[in-house]
Amino acid sequence: MASRALSVWQNRKVVGLLVRRDLKVKYQNSILGYAWSMLEPLAMACVYYFVFGVLFAATGGARSAPGGPDAPGGYALFLLSGLLPWMWFSTALSDAPKALITHAKLITTMKVPREIFPLAIVQTKFVEYLLTWPILLIFVFSLGGQTGWNVLWLPLAVLIQFAFTLGVTLLLSSINVLLRDVERIVRILNRVLFYATPIIYPISKVMEVGGIPDWFKTVYELNPLVGIFQLHHAVWYPSEAPDAITLSATIGGAILVLVIGYFTFRRLESAVLKEL
Amino acid sequence: MAEPVIEAKGLGVKFAMNRRRKRSMREMFIHGTKRDPNKGETDFWALRNVSFDVAKGECVGIVGKNGTGKSTLLKMIAGVLIPDEGTVTVRGKVAPLLELRAGFNDQLTGRENVNLVGSLHGMSPKTLEEKFDEIVDFAEIKPGFIDTPVRHYSSGMKVRLGFALISQLEHPVMLVDEVLAVGDKSFRNKCYDAIDRMLANERTMVLVSHSEGDLRRFCNRGLYVRQGELVLDTDIKAALEAYNADTKAEIDKRKKKDGKAA
Repeated sequence: MASRALSVWQNRKVVGLLVRRDLKVKYQNSILGYAWSMLEPLAMACVYYFVFGVLFAATGGARSAPGGPDAPGGYALFLLSGLLPWMWFSTALSDAPKALITHAKLITTMKVPREIFPLAIVQTKFVEYLLTWPILLIFVFSLGGQTGWNVLWLPLAVLIQFAFTLGVTLLLSSINVLLRDVERIVRILNRVLFYATPIIYPISKVMEVGGIPDWFKTVYELNPLVGIFQLHHAVWYPSEAPDAITLSATIGGAILVLVIGYFTFRRLESAVLKEL
Repeated sequence: MAEPVIEAKGLGVKFAMNRRRKRSMREMFIHGTKRDPNKGETDFWALRNVSFDVAKGECVGIVGKNGTGKSTLLKMIAGVLIPDEGTVTVRGKVAPLLELRAGFNDQLTGRENVNLVGSLHGMSPKTLEEKFDEIVDFAEIKPGFIDTPVRHYSSGMKVRLGFALISQLEHPVMLVDEVLAVGDKSFRNKCYDAIDRMLANERTMVLVSHSEGDLRRFCNRGLYVRQGELVLDTDIKAALEAYNADTKAEIDKRKKKDGKAA
């Protein structure tokens, strides 16, 4: 495993190239180019803000930034600070099944560590996520968002999310070559995970509801994404920071997914190469 | 003698045969094992017990009928297929030209593709820049076309660009699969010169081809593959003769059968 990691590291330039190429192809024929990376999540944020921040708030369902509507940044910042990293995960998830298939030509003609293709997807989406930061900062300044030491949650969140996303991508990319059902499952999964993760609502909303049985709450919290997005929110809303148990479960879960993903990828590699 | 550049030991690779489709859940639950479309599934050894060594500077031709595993063998040497049995060790980097394509992306321009694939093969940006004009020149891509997406290229142009790029790699091992048959006459001549130059440079080459002329011209050694087995490992002349003899026998047999039927 160490030697494989090394050969991936030796090919890091190649990963960089793939990332740049993917971005290039994506924006090649569009006039606004890279601006789309920012416009897309912004449009999503507007829609969610309208539904959950305006409509529901007006009909009694409170808009829900932790610390009340008067908390610095308000619901808009809360929404955006969750949506932007979510776009990173969600776009990687929807591209993951095709990671190897689209590069079939390269893979069948050239000897490179096959892991670099899933890795390139996660990195491409990560770069796009970084490109959305200006938007977030604009909102932070105009809405008066505040952070302090809790800004340190951010690198941790990014690190865990990277590991988790990479694990998922490795897993799905290899399985999908053999079982194309994965593509369909992913579409549903993308939706389900979006609502099953505290992105547009604070986690306290789930925990407060009396009608939800305790076992369901436990299952809900097992999803590593829950902890990851609590961390993302905690940068601007300190009260959102996960407790030690949730945090360690999140880290453990992400590492577990990465290991499972990696071993599945290695196990299926030979069959995948024949199928491509 | 120095260590062989390519060392294959007991290579074997199997494919699943008769796998028409995956069974759906519905079939699995309702029909049990009765209606398994994969019932006749058998593993098919595309290659088995193949062992050989190739020394530095050798040019080896692989001959055999279609579907006997020649390209599969080449793919395993290139490392893009993992053998189910045995090992293949290649000492040194490999420049592969498999299946008439160098892995170009249709969406990108010729220039971008050359840069991408070149870097994937380990060319530094500096070398790429230096060699770029030479590559384009060799491929006879008209100026202007190089900045057009590859999807607008003719198949000949793609192959030419691929060959031009791969032949610029300074890797010690070169694998060529049926590429020479594609270009037009003048381009083929250029390829011959390029290959001659490379061979003079002590590079090792493995060639799969159906063109006897090409094989006789470059190779000093021949491997004859029949039904997934390596039956002969001699000089190219003997390998071709054995192959031709088998082919002739087969044609005679068919003729006889046709004669009887009529």
